[in-house]
Amino acid sequence: MTKRLVQGNEAVLLGAVKAGATFFAGYPISPSSEILAQASVHAASHPEFRFIQEEDEIASVNAILGGSLAGAKSFTATSGPGFSLMQEAVGYGHKVGIPCVIINVQRVGPGTGMPTMPGQGDLLQTRYGSTGDYTSIVFYPSTVAECYEYTIYAFNAAEESRSPVILLSDAFLGHLNEVADLDAIKVPIIPRTLEPLASGSTRLFSGVATYPDGEPATADGDEFIRQYYEGKACREEVADRYAFFEHGWNKDAETLVIAFGITPRVAQPLSPYFALFRPIRIWPTLDKELAEIAPRYKKIIVIEGSDGQYANVVESVLLRRVERVPLLGGRMSIEAISEGLERIGMLPAGFAPSGSKPPARVG
Amino acid sequence: MSGKSIVIDGVGGQGVRVIGSTMASLLTVMGFHVTLLFDYDSSVRGGMSEAFLRYDREPISNFVVECADVVVRLADRGPVHLSTDYVIADINLMKPGETGEEIPFLQLGVEKFGRDLFGNMIALGRLLCVCDVDFTDEHLTEALPKKYIEDNIAAIKYGYGLDQASIKAIVSEQAASSFASRYAEQVLAGTAPDEAIELAAARS
Repeated sequence: MTKRLVQGNEAVLLGAVKAGATFFAGYPISPSSEILAQASVHAASHPEFRFIQEEDEIASVNAILGGSLAGAKSFTATSGPGFSLMQEAVGYGHKVGIPCVIINVQRVGPGTGMPTMPGQGDLLQTRYGSTGDYTSIVFYPSTVAECYEYTIYAFNAAEESRSPVILLSDAFLGHLNEVADLDAIKVPIIPRTLEPLASGSTRLFSGVATYPDGEPATADGDEFIRQYYEGKACREEVADRYAFFEHGWNKDAETLVIAFGITPRVAQPLSPYFALFRPIRIWPTLDKELAEIAPRYKKIIVIEGSDGQYANVVESVLLRRVERVPLLGGRMSIEAISEGLERIGMLPAGFAPSGSKPPARVG
Repeated sequence: MSGKSIVIDGVGGQGVRVIGSTMASLLTVMGFHVTLLFDYDSSVRGGMSEAFLRYDREPISNFVVECADVVVRLADRGPVHLSTDYVIADINLMKPGETGEEIPFLQLGVEKFGRDLFGNMIALGRLLCVCDVDFTDEHLTEALPKKYIEDNIAAIKYGYGLDQASIKAIVSEQAASSFASRYAEQVLAGTAPDEAIELAAARS
């Protein structure tokens, strides 16, 4: 057992290496830059691991698509603005079926926003960011140890689904140092089975709709629909094997809190008063699990670092109203959560958050 | 020894990361659960830099410190509303009504160890003392980077070994004038920290 202090971004890099990744391409952006920096350090002493700092995020994501096609388990890391630039390539990766992993260490957006403050506002972008319909598999860990663990799962899911898989993090989780025993985390590694380019077999890499023989199928709706549902079924079947979630806190409470990533950790002082549902596989939505657990509770509150992105999803899945506590502007604190609960009349009687005021900036 | 919540408040390049990382490493070596979160503003050169450090014998969930047991203040740029029980501050950084101590860390670093950088290790030693962390030389040796390790250990022990009498003497010697004048009004009103009142009395 080797317990040591590990940073969230470092744990992601270590998880990627453990999963067998041998190619990283990226462009630095807060708060994800440590992943790029550590990847470059790793590459310096591991010649089998290739690293390139690209000129921007578009080049980065296309480089990892190319790296993956060439046979390497490949990944990149970015934050909201960079992830926005990557969307065309994400769609291409889904269309062609290219396994790779994209890490999005979220900050407060839109735009350049608040580069070092935590946000969770890229949730829907990870699901619907590119053009057209596709099935996105997304994980969102909550601890440094989980950053390591679910990075490995992300690579496994990418190999099995043959699609870009996204690991969400955020400024707090990425920059958090925590004592962890990563050696104790045992996740089986799914090996690369996809043949690399120039290995003899014929494969198609066109973003255009095509028949299996390579001829354009740009006007054949039936063929498009056949291929679409075939890909969707495959990715949903794979996602079912990664249906990770946590149901905890006070399960006998009348109210269920739904929160993910760092949010339930910050909200933990409320654990005696509420039950918790923490989706770790964010997409596809954990429909079955939510449908089974939610009816046990009279009320549901979604606490998240966006203005209701996941709350809207939960309402559409459960067909019932949920309460919302949005944590905006990087205000991830029990004080901010308490204020939100008070605003909707759901602050538990007698609960007093520690601290007099939430952190605020000067200068 | 129970756990504590600590905030280190400074500006970029001042040593917030060094103090936070070294203390977190030491506590990890000692078998504590530790969380350490660095918070900074990327848009301003020399902008605020903070470290939120928590340690305990039990696993830690909430790593955001909103009510600190101890604040180490190297500059006054951090959370304006953070509440704390005790402040360890460089000279002229304690606020009226706060409980704590002011020590000229950087000056001591130069005077005692030849470089202002060792002031950070003196501050760390003082923090370890206030938090009652019972470390050994072996813990320090395992936790500290090998470069300058002997000087760093000496500086940590120097800070740890300071008592209130020696702090008063240092402050009197190096900064009595500004210290006393800053609190002049509060001394007259009878609301200044004891040290300021005593210094003012000594000067008069």
